[in-house]
Amino acid sequence: MAMAYERPPQVGRILPGFAIIGWRWISRHPAMVIGPVLVPFIFLYFLRLISPPQDFPLQVIGAMLFTTQNIGSWVLGDSATYRLEAYLEELFIASPVTRLQYMIGLSLSNLIAAVPALVVLAIVLALVTPVPWYAWPVLIAVILLLWVLVSAIGMAVSTRIRSRRVVWPVGSLVFTVLGMLSPLYYPLSVLPPAWQTVTRFFPATYAALLVQGTVGVPGTVSSNLWVDAGLLGLFTTVGTAVALSFYQWRDR
Amino acid sequence: MAFSFVDRYTWGYTVTQLRVQLHDFNVVIAPILIQGVLLIFVYILNPALITYALIGALVYSMFQMGQRVQNEAAYIRVDSKLPELYLPGPLTPEGYFVGMSLGILGSNVGTFAVLAGILEWTHPLSALAWLVLAAVLFAVFLFTVSLGYFVSTLFEDDRAIQPYATIITNLFGVLPPVFYPLSLLPTYWGPLALVLPTSAAAALVEAAEGGLVSISSGGIALAAISLTLEALALFLFTLAWARRSARER
Repeated sequence: MAMAYERPPQVGRILPGFAIIGWRWISRHPAMVIGPVLVPFIFLYFLRLISPPQDFPLQVIGAMLFTTQNIGSWVLGDSATYRLEAYLEELFIASPVTRLQYMIGLSLSNLIAAVPALVVLAIVLALVTPVPWYAWPVLIAVILLLWVLVSAIGMAVSTRIRSRRVVWPVGSLVFTVLGMLSPLYYPLSVLPPAWQTVTRFFPATYAALLVQGTVGVPGTVSSNLWVDAGLLGLFTTVGTAVALSFYQWRDR
Repeated sequence: MAFSFVDRYTWGYTVTQLRVQLHDFNVVIAPILIQGVLLIFVYILNPALITYALIGALVYSMFQMGQRVQNEAAYIRVDSKLPELYLPGPLTPEGYFVGMSLGILGSNVGTFAVLAGILEWTHPLSALAWLVLAAVLFAVFLFTVSLGYFVSTLFEDDRAIQPYATIITNLFGVLPPVFYPLSLLPTYWGPLALVLPTSAAAALVEAAEGGLVSISSGGIALAAISLTLEALALFLFTLAWARRSARER
């Protein structure tokens, strides 16, 4: 007699599944939360000592965006580990999951580790400077756009990695350089003109200018916020599409 | 307990590690990014502090050697399982630890040369300050590679190590007065900073270069004694730990 078999649902469980993976990872390794929370604060403390106090709100915004940008490095690490060490990627490729769903899932699981740091930094921002109500949705939208873009970059870079040993160095190289060349922790105006031009090629620059301008922190350069928003959106759309096209989604 | 790490096998492993490190440019270049970033921050936000930051960058670069040892030792043990191949041979466990540390240091000589060159160009140090710098860098090297090797043996998951490495480098390298002068720190934190190996090393060099920082003779003694004791104690402990933890698992 054939047994009654209820076919499990094929869709709708991917994101919650990855969310559980993200939660399990940080609940088993508390350093995964402590690190992202602690490091921006250590940087902020250092910057507070060496720079003018009026730059502090700008630096808190920078810390939020830098934390978001670091998610790309973590996605890179997870993607490479799943493929090289756990051989999990082959399982996902054989499943109904698409590469975009896989990327969003991995990104979501890593966003969970960054959320405590982002919440604490948001509270600090509200304490150190008046934040208009409309700036919060802008800040959240910018963080989400940056999160999608850096996750896609992380996935694209991870696909070229052949050894676990270089995961951390490559991640640091890509995301530290991207983050530090952009005016996240200092006003764009203090940079030499040539450097200012170079920063215009980095998406985090527009993220920083948009949030700084919307919040209205001291030290902000005058900038057309609509143009900044448009360029950030363009960078995210094109960058994500290009990065995903680089990501090899097949058996190797 | 007599340790054996001054022999041709240790030297051979040092050269092996040096070649392994130099084989991968990413591995060599990535650990010097943070000090580059912090130097840029100081240069942009407060150029008057650049000499302190350059001395700090040298100390921090040496501290980073420990994190490289931590990553490399964990990778070799957890991923490649190479210690099972190395250690049944004539290479002693302590020679394995020392050889790895020296090889990694050797691969980073260029970083120290560049930073020292910039320091000499922007603020020529006295002969005494250079001697003190060499001595404290050696002490920081002993401390950091010992810490890194010890921490690496506590993990079975290569992926979990990096967050701890990040926390350690920031707590020792960015938070205390390594890239900035001791005088910017609230007074009550001063003794603690002089006990931490990285900030003690930076303070000793700045004190030797008269006029950079004002520390009492008691403070100098505290920094010198702390750094020496911490480096030697941790190094001896890790030599013993390397021997104890070197068995097939």
